[in-house]
Amino acid sequence: MSVSADQAQDIETATTAIETDPPSGAPDAKTRRYDRQLRLWASSGQSALESASILVIGASATATSIIKNLVLPGVGSFTILDPLAVAPADAGNNFFLDGQESIGKNRAQEAVPLLQELNDGVVGKADTRDIKDILATEDGQRWLRDFTLVIAVNTEGETTKRLSQCLWEAGEAAPTLIVVTSAGLISEFYIQFREHHIIESHSESSPSLRIDKPFPALLQHAMSLDFSTMDPTEHGHVPYVIILVRVLEDWKKEHDGTPPKTYAEKQEFKARIRAMKVKQDEENFDEAEAQAYRAWTETTASLPDHVPSDIKALFDDPALAYGQLTIGSPPFLHLLDALKHFVSQPPYTLPLTSTLPDMKADTTNYIHLQKLYKTRAEEEKKIFRGLVRQPVDEGLVDSFVRNCHAVKLMRGKPYGTFDLDQAAIANALAVSPKETVTHLALSALSNIGRQNVSVEALTAEIQRLAGPGVELPEEELDAAVGEVARAPTADLPNVAAFLGGLVAQETIKMITKQYVPVNGYCVADLVDTWTGVVA
Amino acid sequence: MTFSTSRTTHAEAILGRELHAKLADTKVLLVGAGGIGCELLKNLVLTGFGHITVLDLDTIDLSNLNRQFLFRKKDVKQSKALVAAQTAGPFNPNIHLTPIHGNIKEPQYDLSWFKSFDLVLNALDNLDARRHVNKMCMAAEVPLVESGTAGYLGQVQPLLKDRTECFDCIPKPTPKTFPVCTIRSTPSQPIHCIVWAKSYLMSFQSNTVVAGVCLTQASSSPVANGVFQLFGEDEDAGGQSDLDEAEKQGENAQEIAKLRQEQQAFKAVRTALRTPSTTDPNADPAKMAFQKVFNADIRNLLSMADMWRHRAPPTPLDYDSIHDGTFVLRSVKSDQAAPNGNGARANGKNGKASKGSSAVEEMLDDKSGIREQGPSSDAARLKDQKTLSLKENLNLFVASTHRLAERLRDGEETISFDKDDDDTLDFVTAAANLRSAAYGIAGKTRWEVKEMAGNIIPAIATTNAIISGLIVLQALHLLRKSYDKLKNVFIQFKPQLPLSTVGVSHPNPSCGVCRDVYAELRCDPARVTLGEVVNSLLGDGDGEGRGTGPRDVSVYEDKRILSDPDFDDNNDRTLESLGVTRGKFLTIVDEDDELATIAVAISPLPEPHPADGPAMILPSPLPSPPAKPKPAAPMPSTPPPSTAVKRPAPDDNEEPLPKRARTNGAIPDSVFASPSKKRKLDEDGLVMLDTANEELRDDVIEID
Repeated sequence: MSVSADQAQDIETATTAIETDPPSGAPDAKTRRYDRQLRLWASSGQSALESASILVIGASATATSIIKNLVLPGVGSFTILDPLAVAPADAGNNFFLDGQESIGKNRAQEAVPLLQELNDGVVGKADTRDIKDILATEDGQRWLRDFTLVIAVNTEGETTKRLSQCLWEAGEAAPTLIVVTSAGLISEFYIQFREHHIIESHSESSPSLRIDKPFPALLQHAMSLDFSTMDPTEHGHVPYVIILVRVLEDWKKEHDGTPPKTYAEKQEFKARIRAMKVKQDEENFDEAEAQAYRAWTETTASLPDHVPSDIKALFDDPALAYGQLTIGSPPFLHLLDALKHFVSQPPYTLPLTSTLPDMKADTTNYIHLQKLYKTRAEEEKKIFRGLVRQPVDEGLVDSFVRNCHAVKLMRGKPYGTFDLDQAAIANALAVSPKETVTHLALSALSNIGRQNVSVEALTAEIQRLAGPGVELPEEELDAAVGEVARAPTADLPNVAAFLGGLVAQETIKMITKQYVPVNGYCVADLVDTWTGVVA
Repeated sequence: MTFSTSRTTHAEAILGRELHAKLADTKVLLVGAGGIGCELLKNLVLTGFGHITVLDLDTIDLSNLNRQFLFRKKDVKQSKALVAAQTAGPFNPNIHLTPIHGNIKEPQYDLSWFKSFDLVLNALDNLDARRHVNKMCMAAEVPLVESGTAGYLGQVQPLLKDRTECFDCIPKPTPKTFPVCTIRSTPSQPIHCIVWAKSYLMSFQSNTVVAGVCLTQASSSPVANGVFQLFGEDEDAGGQSDLDEAEKQGENAQEIAKLRQEQQAFKAVRTALRTPSTTDPNADPAKMAFQKVFNADIRNLLSMADMWRHRAPPTPLDYDSIHDGTFVLRSVKSDQAAPNGNGARANGKNGKASKGSSAVEEMLDDKSGIREQGPSSDAARLKDQKTLSLKENLNLFVASTHRLAERLRDGEETISFDKDDDDTLDFVTAAANLRSAAYGIAGKTRWEVKEMAGNIIPAIATTNAIISGLIVLQALHLLRKSYDKLKNVFIQFKPQLPLSTVGVSHPNPSCGVCRDVYAELRCDPARVTLGEVVNSLLGDGDGEGRGTGPRDVSVYEDKRILSDPDFDDNNDRTLESLGVTRGKFLTIVDEDDELATIAVAISPLPEPHPADGPAMILPSPLPSPPAKPKPAAPMPSTPPPSTAVKRPAPDDNEEPLPKRARTNGAIPDSVFASPSKKRKLDEDGLVMLDTANEELRDDVIEID
């Protein structure tokens, strides 16, 4: 099953061969091919993708759309499992079949060569066995558990449940399972995982600059400047960070050590910054005013509030409870544990960022400021490293510290948990009725089977799931049930394209451990064009 | 059950027999066969559209293959439209698939041509072509679906004249521009040096730079145009006459003499680049070019003392001492503006930006720094993400100059910057970094330069797939005339809500594109004069269909004014002599600003047409523009609700309207309205970073 070791080597070679004289700097063909996506997930993400092996159950139009979007960016290998023969309807809606030529032949075997052709760096395999038979044997279950990620497209309800159970019970190392269900213009997918760690979440929030908790060297530098004796050029190039630290420090002296709190105080604080201008067009002071919020929101007063609440919440995770962490625990948890200890000691903050944002400044000032941050960040990283109780790869530590303001620890549930929890269903019906009813309609379809579909049967099954007597939103129910009953087996090209993109996107997020994936049932209705998440 | 019927079972079940049957006769124009285009072509074929024309002017590049799945490695450098059609066509032999390798702005794609389609789908990567297709579709009243992606983000917008707002109802951001003097003499950010290397040394859009607004003496020269191009067209003659002209106008004689001298020196370098290599090291064109731009020119600038009174002067670089490692940059700790603004912004998001000044240090220290720039560890860094030392930049400059010179000698007449052309990218990287070193600015890696100089937008298969599915679904709503279902759809960066939608808006009553009244004039432009055309179009106003009657108007072609009440010199000239030919629009603006503007598309006479037949066939009825709404000043950025029809409110579950594209400062609505005399036609003294005419390449949208 593992094709990927040598694949992964390739990118490694591409990343390290830098010594040429004169340096041509030119990347190899592979880097050029992947140029546009490397700008999103970098070579670390690409390596992970190239090491992944994917199993897709079913060779429908939706399934091949998903695979296409994984083959193009260079997934390591894919296997399609499908015992069925190509029907005329398949030939009409699945681009990765040989049209009429394919009819009657095995779907997986027909689709694999056309998909593999998209990228010669990817290995594709066809498997004509039935998933039911595979699940029935120990060997089969082991085989399933060897993949990085399994995608089940429109599998029968009972089979999906057994597959979900087989993978869930394999524990932490089990492959992620993505269950995709579609009928006509409505569809959903669910990602089953136990625990998902994200260091590079590519969050849009920026790390704290500690304006309101300046480290000694920063504070000293800010206080040493004499704005009144600067010439206009110098004055116009003092970095906004320095301006803010200085104004805040002066403010605190007059306000018993507290930063601006009320609206009026905040306005006054900004006015002070404006008043410092010696010329109207001093951009650095404009920047300081625009960034003034950092003075009161960044790292306020005392524990526990100076750590972003999302991060603080991670410290309560049961995995970090006393005695839970062991040598075998994932490095991410050890790093998170170290972070928990780091913030519980002075200065009660996350480790300092070593990268400064761009700002109006002259080179001397900017470099000096950058050195202050770098030096301090190095010191704090050293302290942090000392708190990690297990040897962890140095690169991982760096990456963790750099992204620690936005790391994520997600916990998932087995597929189908929601459908067994009538309290959760009732709650979801109240909060997002159309999303919930649409999800229940697709669950009902899986449960009763695509051969037995009628409006009545679907409605009855939905009612059973929600609980007898529970009131269902009528209009939304009619719309969802109507669409499912109208086209229970239709796999439409445009829905396949849409879903193929969405599911492949989430697959890449899971594999690269970058960006934040959906947690829950992601439901899409393309009659009215909306998506939502039910959990 | 036969193959041809049963293969459409699914589609019929969903679309209904009626709409599905209609699709076989539907004529679709797909503009662009790139990332979105490939996906769309597949979907159109699968959905059962019977007649598809796909047009793209671009050829296939290796970097397309990570998402443009109709292309293979063997297809690189072939026409995108042709290969896409070859790959997708065989899937359904009943479909008439017409590929065109061409530019949508060519004159033969005129109004009649657009009118021959039932539906137009844009899969474009640039604002200029988008605006052009939008205008044509508004004029032809053909439904259009507009789209774009950038990384994980994307959007779809269905557009139909009088039904929805058009692409230009809301002003779009203008391309980033820089003052000429900053680029030429006083760069303070890495991007300034990159633009310099790209625009001045490589190729030059002479119409995008108009000199004259800089305050400093050195750069106020009226003769910036073309003088410094190493690999572009020889604009020597032009530069020369500009100099003569400037001299006549009494410009500073000393400065002009200096510029003449510069010009001569440049000419020598240009000549050296085009002559076979010699063994004389001092005749090495790369060395000559280096000494010219990084030494002599900088010394020249230093001689203008005024310029450096309030800013630190640059340091001239020296070829030999950099080469043997003895060069010392004296102004390392000088008072220079630091990297800020655009430069790092583009990189900041992907988490591996080389942060400005650390790169300065590395470069100046001449260390091949590998320092916390990589995404996770040193080993995982790509080789072109390495920060180059001063000497390495020199070597790269020499090597790439030789490669480019070789190409010139092999017959290429001009070489302009192309982000996927390694020789030009190497050259721009090295030249920009050397200039940065001279000015104490942070260097950039080749990877970053590529993104900044090439305006690269990350692009992946998944987003294009999602978007293309949504495009066809919106297109089906348009064909079915289910206007209440039309939505502007956005893919957003939110795991809890991948899509957000808003109902479509009504046209902006002051829109200069879709509020114009369109008409088609079939004529022989060589045989009709401007005056007779305009008078005929205004008609006598004597009843229904007979026009507004004579009134005071000004007449434009694009931004050019052809006549107004006080300017009738052109009235007796033919349309042809005025350059108003097939595919162009004649715009007739009411002088009293009371009636809407008339835009007349010029089309050829129908064939066969007798030689002695009339030279023009007027539209019937003649255009009768309605009264213009009185816009409240200032114009809101979104149109106010129309009183006649209720503007649809967003559904309850929807997110607030995504941020409107940012406009470059306060853009008056008139910029995008029909031309008027008050309008400023050119932005003086600016270098455009983006050229308006970038090829159809990727799938780019204007996102904040």
